[in-house]
Amino acid sequence: MSGGGKKARGISQEGIVIAISAVIFLVFAVTQPVFRTPENILSLIQNVSILGILAVAMALTIIGRGIDLSLVAIMAVSAAWVLQLSNNGMPIGLACLIGLGLALLIGLVNGILIAYLEIPAIFATLAIATAAYGFVRSMLLEDNLIYLKAAQDTWFKVIGSGDVLGVPNPVILFAIVALVVHLFLKHAVKGRFLYAMGENPSAARITGLPNRPMVLLQYLLAAAIAFLAGLIMATSVDSIETRIARSTLVYDIILVVVIGGVGLAGGKGKVRNVIVGTLMIGILLNGMTILNTPYTIQNIIKSVILLAAIIVDSVMNPRDEQTSQQGDI
Amino acid sequence: MTSPMIRMTGMVKRYGPVAAIDGVDFQLGEGEIHSLLGENGAGKSTLTKMLSGVATPTSGVIELDGRPVTFETPADAMRAGINMVYQENSLVPSMSVAQNLFMGDEKLFNRLRPLYIAAQQFLQSLNFNVDPWASVSTLGVAQRQMVEIARAVRKNARVIVFDEPTASLTPEEKHHFFNLIRRLKQDRVSIIFISHALEEALEISDRITILRDGKLVETGDAKDFDRARIIAGMVGRESGIEGETAPADAKPPGKRVLSVQNLSMGKAVRNTSFSLYSGQVTGIFGLIGSGRTETAKVISGVLKRNMFHGGEVWLEDKPVRYRVPRTAMRDGIVYVTEDRKAEGFFDDMSIAENIGMGFLAAGFNKSQVVRRSDIAEVAKYWTGKFNVAALSNEARVIELSGGNQQKVVIAKSLVQKPRVVFFDEPTRGVDVGAIAEIHRLIRELSRSGITVVVISSYLPEILSISDRILVCRKGRIVEEFAAGTAEEKTIMYAAVH
Repeated sequence: MSGGGKKARGISQEGIVIAISAVIFLVFAVTQPVFRTPENILSLIQNVSILGILAVAMALTIIGRGIDLSLVAIMAVSAAWVLQLSNNGMPIGLACLIGLGLALLIGLVNGILIAYLEIPAIFATLAIATAAYGFVRSMLLEDNLIYLKAAQDTWFKVIGSGDVLGVPNPVILFAIVALVVHLFLKHAVKGRFLYAMGENPSAARITGLPNRPMVLLQYLLAAAIAFLAGLIMATSVDSIETRIARSTLVYDIILVVVIGGVGLAGGKGKVRNVIVGTLMIGILLNGMTILNTPYTIQNIIKSVILLAAIIVDSVMNPRDEQTSQQGDI
Repeated sequence: MTSPMIRMTGMVKRYGPVAAIDGVDFQLGEGEIHSLLGENGAGKSTLTKMLSGVATPTSGVIELDGRPVTFETPADAMRAGINMVYQENSLVPSMSVAQNLFMGDEKLFNRLRPLYIAAQQFLQSLNFNVDPWASVSTLGVAQRQMVEIARAVRKNARVIVFDEPTASLTPEEKHHFFNLIRRLKQDRVSIIFISHALEEALEISDRITILRDGKLVETGDAKDFDRARIIAGMVGRESGIEGETAPADAKPPGKRVLSVQNLSMGKAVRNTSFSLYSGQVTGIFGLIGSGRTETAKVISGVLKRNMFHGGEVWLEDKPVRYRVPRTAMRDGIVYVTEDRKAEGFFDDMSIAENIGMGFLAAGFNKSQVVRRSDIAEVAKYWTGKFNVAALSNEARVIELSGGNQQKVVIAKSLVQKPRVVFFDEPTRGVDVGAIAEIHRLIRELSRSGITVVVISSYLPEILSISDRILVCRKGRIVEEFAAGTAEEKTIMYAAVH
């Protein structure tokens, strides 16, 4: 009910995005025979799975009126440390637990800075992204690029490279993360609290919601999901490049979240919106790769889409008090 | 009246299928003070928004000096001399008064000194006691309003629309405000005055127009109206706050539930002490800035009190100090805000979800999983009890009228089964019909043994609802009256001296 769907206005952002995705999909499918092969469609979904999982984590923080720019850094450094520990001889199960601990620790620091020191989320997580990357890279890792060596033949490897009935594991994990977060947001008491807090933090506080613990929870959840994305990435390509923390991936994530219709002002949006956004961006990126579009041109296209999505968002979810006041007519 | 300066004919404004204004005619003469009255949702704001270019009419003709005009934007209307002064401020808080006054008219080389001198002279000519050098953020609500009015006057407005201008003014400031309005009238400026305060409207207006449910009820000279006739027109029945006398069945104090000793916080609350008793309504009267809201907020944990702020609060025989509303709520102390838009409800959520949020926050849900049917049931009970007028409990709260919004906010707090409830201005911006209902609820609540506090700056409200009256001035409770022993004059005297 409090989601992104604006039934009253007839056309929802979600509907627009689905329509555009379908058009792009058809154009690529008609003009590029390679595109419409089942193998390509499968690899398309597989490629965007990690992006989709990270976008779910980002959506959690944005719904709660925050943002987490450190997601990619958390993903990269925690997964890299798992590989490093395992390569140094630690059992992979224990290494995973320690890696998760590192991710949660970074999430906790984010949460404390935002909830208790009341630093704006965008600055706190930006600083923590840099700090976490710098600290882990210089203190804990031997190189920028860490390979998956010791745990090559264990269950661990299967996370990102196996499949079930022909469906790649990353896709299945994306589906599971999306389902769990969907159920959490829709049915859990804490999920409803998250919407209320994103919608109106002052009202949430006066109503007696545990605002600060909820902020902590939201960054811890985001960090845990990012850690899972890191494991998938590391095991599907047998290595992890920590410099991805300094790439533009985080903007792609925001692109996915915003384009699907999760309002940047907080309190609006569902997991469904993230899936829709992921599909559109997935189709677009895959098609442009098949067309051999240069990387820089892809960036221009992505940034134009991001801008357009933010403009649509600010029109559909206005922050201006005067225009959004419908109560007093 | 000669031919009117503004003539609006057959105005219709639809939001989706709902007509906010449905075929209303309205005339405004030059130099006329015209009150626009009606319950919340009657369409007063919508009508004036169409005149000032904020809303585009669905149909209808607006004529200015006999010529049809259309205003696409507020700027168009302003160029034609029509200004609107909103309840909410449209000033830039970080700039000085003078800069705000002259905003948009700065010269290319904007020298500040002449600007301040001009501002000073201008404010003096209006008899406004505002320092042009002061930053707007340091001004109180009333002074900000004075600056807004001054800005409208400076732009040579021919028509000024005031939307609830007196809601946040003290009696003295109101006096100034009305003097100003009369002076504007002498300068042939026309005024449209939207208010819930009927006495003010009767006193100041030349003509009165009453709207109900988007339709014109009647319009006529103010001298032909009285309070009863206006209320009858507004609600379609005789109602409102009954009399200005004490409740007939005033209750003696029950058990002492909460006692406050030497509570202090900054400049807002200064060394105040009082007690609250169960089973009765304690009214706290005070002017704006007297610290009554802050006192309630400190007790209920909404404002954080740190170690430098002295004093003690005892809940029965236990000293308490709340840093967040959550712990206070768990102990049974809730605060119902005076500013429901900013901190009262979740505007994009449904009625059921809003009330349900109070239920969930109180921890009444059996598990960590929300069952919609439980929430719907709780919401149904409270909306039924409170007579919330909405199509269903799935309607979004932002779409409701002020009175119904307030009922939802109150229900959201009462669902938490509080022992002590602070109602801060429970009927601000609420239509006459809903005021009576909210008052009835508050009384019922206190009779069921709950400790109820009503904070208000509207004396008739305090007098009619309280079993006991406390007067707050400069951050402390200065006087106490039993119901029936106090008159308006004595209470006001205590509040201002």
